[in-house]
Amino acid sequence: MVGNARKSTSTFARAENPPVDLGLLRRILYSVFLLVMLLLLWEGLKAFSASNNYELQIGSATIDLSIFSDMQLPHLGDIARAFTEPAQRNGPPLYSTLIENAGYTLQSAVGGFLLGGFFGFLLAVLFAHSRLMQGGCLPYVVASQTVPLIAIAPMIVIWFSRAGNSALSIPVIAAYLTFFPVTIYTLRGLTSVPETALELMQSYAASQWEIFVKLRLPNALPQIFTALKISATASVVGAIIGELPSGFQNGLGVTILNFARYYNQSPPRLWATIAAAGLVGILFFLVIVLVERLIVRWQREDSD
Amino acid sequence: MSAVISIQNVTKMFRGSDGLLVHALDNINLNVEEGEFVSLIGPSGCGKSTLLRTIADLIQPTSGKITVNNKTAAQARKDREYGFVFQSSTLYDWRTVIKNVELPLEIMKWPKNKRDARAREMLGLVELSGFEDKYPWQLSGGMQQRVSIARALAFEPNILLMDEPFGALDEMTRERMNNELLRIWTAIPRMTVVFVTHSIAEAVYLSDHVVVLSPRPGRLATIIDINLPRPRGPETRDHEDYFRLTSQVRHALRSGVRDEVLE
Ligand SMILES: Nc1ncnc2c1ncn2[C@@H]1O[C@H](COP(=O)(O)OP(=O)(O)O)[C@@H](O)[C@H]1O
Ligand SMILES: [Mg+2]
Repeated sequence: MVGNARKSTSTFARAENPPVDLGLLRRILYSVFLLVMLLLLWEGLKAFSASNNYELQIGSATIDLSIFSDMQLPHLGDIARAFTEPAQRNGPPLYSTLIENAGYTLQSAVGGFLLGGFFGFLLAVLFAHSRLMQGGCLPYVVASQTVPLIAIAPMIVIWFSRAGNSALSIPVIAAYLTFFPVTIYTLRGLTSVPETALELMQSYAASQWEIFVKLRLPNALPQIFTALKISATASVVGAIIGELPSGFQNGLGVTILNFARYYNQSPPRLWATIAAAGLVGILFFLVIVLVERLIVRWQREDSD
Repeated sequence: MSAVISIQNVTKMFRGSDGLLVHALDNINLNVEEGEFVSLIGPSGCGKSTLLRTIADLIQPTSGKITVNNKTAAQARKDREYGFVFQSSTLYDWRTVIKNVELPLEIMKWPKNKRDARAREMLGLVELSGFEDKYPWQLSGGMQQRVSIARALAFEPNILLMDEPFGALDEMTRERMNNELLRIWTAIPRMTVVFVTHSIAEAVYLSDHVVVLSPRPGRLATIIDINLPRPRGPETRDHEDYFRLTSQVRHALRSGVRDEVLE
């Protein structure tokens, strides 16, 4: 046993001090680096096009570079400044308008995320326990995602306003986008249980419920979180698309529509709103990552 | 003496993925007495795992009968008579070492404090005290397998079924695990062990009887009684009978394979 003890200590020295923080730091530095490169590219292309009068001669061909003009692609500085300037005369600065509208959108997105997540999970459990259901219904679930959301959204708005519940239409539209990854990934997680892990349960004469709670569900958790991360960002997209035909006055989708209509007055406002929409999605994503870190704690750090 | 496990005329056919029938077990008859250590040995594919799994009622024989303590195998499984150890440790990744050992106790509705105490006791038995809160990936292969033995023994099953539990370990670790297993088996009175292996040395060193199976279809070739004195230890491997018995098993294995070649 002496030899064994020595061997195990060395295994643990490696296991307990993994270079996690270094890896995380490196990843953060890397994404910051990529962002800086992207911003430099943005401004570099603009400067290059401006100095060539937005035209590039290659041999006899002329390439139009006007998409890099200030009208089409504003300076980053102008976009940043747009946040602090009022969108309407004597109104609040744009950032506070955006925060308020983002609040509405995020609310719908979270609603859609929960609704879609719950429904998607339920479908997966059903499919995991019935091959017949899976064979019969899964093709329709897949088909549902080939119909463009933008085509369905107006119908859902109409249905819910007829039912006198128009506030619900946006979360439902978002849910339409979020249930699908949850169903697919959860189903895979629930059914990809190793044969011997299942036989172990059978050797204890465990009930189906115990097998589900103590084996299938925890086995599926990493995949469920993969789905939830996709769903989190998709729910923000779904909420914004849902706002477009809703006729509501609030939300980032409505703001995007307004600023697009008056784009010529101030291009940076629309760009600032797009950036805000992206930020909301990233924020939601990061919340899920955090929850995942709290719950899925058993995995090797490098197996991410 | 009463047979704890009685296998009568057991035959098992599988429908293979190509649709053809695989004759995995052919008319097996075997009795295992209470407290015995019995090994099943044979070339791979000869039906060792299949036989072990039919005893455990994880699969059902095509024909024939298995009784365990005068009950059907299915009833014995429901009565939690079996502890099963697989070749891969089959620990649940998301559970710590101690929670893995507690798994069967949770299913058998033990109260929390009793579960915890028993799991610690079992980890002590396999000499893994201090590793309670590690996750499986933090352990070496041998340690993982010891956890799975602790888990199999936690609810005091009458019968321990082991399917090549040390097959993936290196020779040194395997010999050490063999000694541990004998120590544990001795410590638990009247526990019957059925142990699948393809190592002749391991089978002879551990067992009271070595059951030699021959392949295609899986038949019981012969049973070799191992009358080496107990307790066994490193000196057992130098015992003159040890050499005689290992070569006897080797010959039985070879003749089983030769039959197949001639057929
Ligand atoms: N579930 C199964 N379906 C089809 N064939 C199987 C199945 N399990 C085992 N077999 C076949 O039965 C024979 C015996 O297998 P097994 O008991 O695993 O052998 P061993 O454990 O001795 O290596 C092999 O030919 C194997 O391919
Ligand atoms: Mg096998």
